Amino acid sequence: MVQIYNDYKDHADFLTIYVREAHPTDEWQMKSNMKDDVCYAQPKNLAQRVAIANDFIKRFHYPIAFGIDDINNAAEAAYSAWPERLYVIDESGRIAYRGGMGPFHYDPNEVRAWLAARYGAVKHDAAASSPTTSSSISPTT
Amino acid sequence: MTLFWKCTIGIFLVLLAAVFLLLCKMAGSPKDAYGMVRYALPHMHRGSLKVGDDAPDAQLVALDGSDHFHIRERTGRRPLIIIFGSYT
Repeated sequence: MVQIYNDYKDHADFLTIYVREAHPTDEWQMKSNMKDDVCYAQPKNLAQRVAIANDFIKRFHYPIAFGIDDINNAAEAAYSAWPERLYVIDESGRIAYRGGMGPFHYDPNEVRAWLAARYGAVKHDAAASSPTTSSSISPTT
Repeated sequence: MTLFWKCTIGIFLVLLAAVFLLLCKMAGSPKDAYGMVRYALPHMHRGSLKVGDDAPDAQLVALDGSDHFHIRERTGRRPLIIIFGSYT
């Protein structure tokens, strides 16, 4: 998503909303998380959630505006957003694009296509693609 | 036990095994299949929002852990791309 942000930040605003962990150590931990040293228990309070969000920002130097869902998971519930999901809200405050449920239907390319239809496509050299991480927010996609 | 019930139970068990194998394939392993069923599926919801609906508002916490803001404060000027996710 960072690449899409860099391509279209002059046209659209971006906001990352950090929600409940998808693969915490005390629930369904993935091997890829251990390999990437991304091992956290599910936060039980807001302070723990804020701490993990800050770890993420620092590790990836994440440039996109960031908000943290409250511990009551209000944003997640309102948008059916867990574990990951993408939305576009237009200038009138209405949903212009609703992405599918992650991870199987989480597709940043659909957001790119929405932006490209409005503001024109931005092409990149395929050889310059970035490596992937196990992070649900996927800073490199 | 009648033939009918034997066949019914047999078909049920075959379907159960097929679902389990499918989940193992999707998740990667039997352990991950259990994790998916126990922790992921109960929290995954398609939701009722549709394109054209008013975007719901919610209060968010800033990275400093004390400041708050609303999603609605970020809308209205330009399109807003919202990226939901977590670290893991």
